[in-house]
Amino acid sequence: MKRTVKTTLCSLASGLLVAASAMTPVAHAANGDTLKTVKERGNLLCSGHNGSYPPFVQVTDDNKWSGYDIDYCRALAVAIFGSDESLKVVPISWAQRFPSLQSGDIDVVIKATGWTMGRDTELGIQFSRPYFVGATNVLMPKELGSTTPETLSGGSLCANAGTSTERLAANFFKSRNIDIEIISFEKSEETRAAYLAGRCDSFVGWGPNLAVMRQSAENPEDHVLMDTALALEPESAAMRQGDDNWVDIVNWMFAVTWIAESKGITSANVDERKANPADSTEEKLLGVSPGIGSRLGLEDDWAYNVIKQVGNSAEIFDRNIGSGSVYNLERGLNSLWSDGGVIVPMVLD
Amino acid sequence: MRSGIKSLNTASNTSAPPDASLSHRIKRNLFDTPFDSLLTGVCGLVLAYLLYQIVDWAFLSSIWTAEQEPLCRDASGACWSVIDARHRIILFGLFPFEEHWRSTLACVVMIGTIVASCFPWFWTGKKLSVLWLCGFGTFYLLMHGGLFGLSVITPEKWGGLALTIFIFAAVSLIGMPLSILLALGRRSKLPIIARMVGLFIDFFRSLPLLTILFAAAVITPFLLPGWLQGDKLYRVIVGFAIFFACYQAENIRAGLQAIPAGQDEAGLTLGLNYRQRVSRIQLPQAFRNSLPSIVNQFVITFKETSIVTIVGFFEILASGQAAYGTGQWTQHYIEVYVFIAAIYFVFVFSLSRYGAYLEKKLRVGHD
Repeated sequence: MKRTVKTTLCSLASGLLVAASAMTPVAHAANGDTLKTVKERGNLLCSGHNGSYPPFVQVTDDNKWSGYDIDYCRALAVAIFGSDESLKVVPISWAQRFPSLQSGDIDVVIKATGWTMGRDTELGIQFSRPYFVGATNVLMPKELGSTTPETLSGGSLCANAGTSTERLAANFFKSRNIDIEIISFEKSEETRAAYLAGRCDSFVGWGPNLAVMRQSAENPEDHVLMDTALALEPESAAMRQGDDNWVDIVNWMFAVTWIAESKGITSANVDERKANPADSTEEKLLGVSPGIGSRLGLEDDWAYNVIKQVGNSAEIFDRNIGSGSVYNLERGLNSLWSDGGVIVPMVLD
Repeated sequence: MRSGIKSLNTASNTSAPPDASLSHRIKRNLFDTPFDSLLTGVCGLVLAYLLYQIVDWAFLSSIWTAEQEPLCRDASGACWSVIDARHRIILFGLFPFEEHWRSTLACVVMIGTIVASCFPWFWTGKKLSVLWLCGFGTFYLLMHGGLFGLSVITPEKWGGLALTIFIFAAVSLIGMPLSILLALGRRSKLPIIARMVGLFIDFFRSLPLLTILFAAAVITPFLLPGWLQGDKLYRVIVGFAIFFACYQAENIRAGLQAIPAGQDEAGLTLGLNYRQRVSRIQLPQAFRNSLPSIVNQFVITFKETSIVTIVGFFEILASGQAAYGTGQWTQHYIEVYVFIAAIYFVFVFSLSRYGAYLEKKLRVGHD
């Protein structure tokens, strides 16, 4: 996601990025390299943000990192070291994500990063399975009475200038022959303030950002989402190309939180479940029978530690984005497939 | 009353006061003709209204403490609760909560060092070097730790005001001597040195600061061997210092070129060597000549430190963004920016007032 970054910065950064990647013909990591480096160094370097990007990366009142993405950084550190004390969150800007990954400033990017073909093939990085999907949508006042795109015909739309969202919205309404005036602003705070002050009839943005904004409105219930999403973007963790073992670890770190949720294992009951595993999958997951660790180069109780210390995917979502947070965003597509979402845990055998 | 007596005194005791009394001056300047009076009245009302609006927003209708945050939604004034709840993030960034006293003390030491070096008593090479080595060393020890039982806190956790001050001080500390060398180098009698230095300065001046910082943070790790890389913070500071030095060198060179050639020649006839001529004749006069632009460059640099946020540092502006960047506080970004602007204002305003004091002291423009 690069919605809040200005066009000039994007083009400058991508120019430098191309320059940086042109200079790095040997940035490919060998299989197993990253885990070895991380273990030798004694800490995991994960991506943070230069400021905050709620609800993914933000700072608590006592100066600590928190957020949905930070929790997955913690889970990865716990998987490797058994405790999140070895996690070092490195503040980086959007433009810096991939060059910093290549130069070894960070070991993994878990930062609302969309999986695109260009990034996947040209930047020397590879992606994990998507761990979050975010829909670009339009927020509009409830008093309009209807939530179809046609409702907005003849009205206006607030957007952040020069972002992919702005182009997406223009194309979306054009293809439906809906006449809408797009008013764009440089800073996302301005865009938000303009909509809330009634300068435009609607506001286009990325799902979680919309939720954050709605939460700051005087009466959050007065604003509703349009019934048609403009686009859906899968967010994945990014790693250096070539280290398959590292990709496996990150993928299975995500999978473990999903499997735990599907089996109803939470940070609260994990000890109980470990004492009385229901089936062989659970035995394997919680390290009662060996296999889950040794195949990745980790300890066999790593998944148990992750569930115990960070929680399953439902807990992570609720704590940071959902009902347990101020944002109170519905989980929707980010639920497991059994609850109508798109998240499908891999099979642990 | 007092001013009345005073103006009476000045009128009777001293001969021919240059200025008339305040009330008379006001009358002459603002209410001379009916049109003037009208203009003054209208402008005064508009100003008073604006001032009232600002005061009302900032003080009268504002909410002050974090506990009163629920009242903010209905308040017409500022919601300073965000500052109350999150000021530690603005001031200290990601510095561990329990160690904030270290960051506070470090800032005080650094500001003390900067203030102390403003006093003419310290203006010898030796005293300044000792002062800055001690000040900088103490600052670094407090921030980084590792000695005397202080826990180690690595630079990626530094942030807020402390980081802004650190970057500014480090850039000045490296950049100032470098700028003198560059200025002297560009005026060297050896063409090769003069041309090389000229090329160096023009090369860095033709690049945007953003590019230099991005290259220092992101691209140099690909080019430099591991042992030479150091922390990202130091690479960025070196890049920034070179940029600063190139501009400052041109300011100093302007000052050097304003010195009549006779000055240097007089030094030569007295048998002074190059070092003596530079340190006793050329540089003191050069500094005096280009003082306004030198101070200007410091002011610009202090404000430009906020650009490092682009390469992922938690300086005061990024910290401010983190402070309001959570669900509870997103709508109160204006208060956070006003708070940061006030901090910048205190620093930059003191810097420019000091520049004005120096100019007066050295009587720039009066000889």
